[in-house]
Amino acid sequence: MGDIAFNLLIFFVILARANDDSFLNWQPARAKNLEAAGYAKASVLIDADSRLFLNGRQLGMSQLPQQIGELLGDAPAGQRTVLLKVHREAQALYYEPVIEAISEAGGDLVHVLEELKE
Amino acid sequence: MKVRRSTKLLVEPSAVTTGDIAFNLIVFFLVCASSAPDSGRRQNIPRSETVPQQKEKSQHVEVQLTRTTMAINGDVVRPRDFVPQLRRLLAGKPRLEDRVVVVKSRPEVPYHHWITATSGIEEAGGIITIQREEEREVQIPQ
Repeated sequence: MGDIAFNLLIFFVILARANDDSFLNWQPARAKNLEAAGYAKASVLIDADSRLFLNGRQLGMSQLPQQIGELLGDAPAGQRTVLLKVHREAQALYYEPVIEAISEAGGDLVHVLEELKE
Repeated sequence: MKVRRSTKLLVEPSAVTTGDIAFNLIVFFLVCASSAPDSGRRQNIPRSETVPQQKEKSQHVEVQLTRTTMAINGDVVRPRDFVPQLRRLLAGKPRLEDRVVVVKSRPEVPYHHWITATSGIEEAGGIITIQREEEREVQIPQ
């Protein structure tokens, strides 16, 4: 009985992570004084090959504003967090339009970074 | 004299289940282990709007970024002087709209350099606005 419950638990944990982007290849930039990113409705990632992903699914830049808008919907302020994960060597040509798109969609932008230890 | 014999037998759990338990434990820790960073920095960037290029010089502070350098209002500054110089420029500006700092980046600017610069702007009390040159398709008549 316990085994079955345990396996079910693992099954649902894996399902909950279906939109995860942890399998993508990117290295975060480093900065000081970071805070916990918290729960986010959307996670945008630019990987080491400058490919764009929204919640783990690859998409084009032209689709991004609309898709973020749909994900955020009419969520009130404070619940419109969008995580931005950008590979540290990605170029402005790729990440600046993404930052603008998040801003246009009314998302609360959180750059996901790595703590810089002194 | 009567000697009492203990009737308790040593009962060992079946060794067959050991593999199952080990497998479940491996799966559990694999699922739980996450190497993804979960800390970050919140950044408020006002919504941008497309406006025609103005002839007159903007009153806002401008930060220009290239691949390796930072410049404030056209003057290249050393990284350690970046925040103090911005603080000086923003010191006499109590209104929020006057504290806007326009960030202009070359297309090749790496993200870590951009983060360093924008973190410095926020540390100095500035409000970041991105200014990007629009890309336009030009059709050559045949």
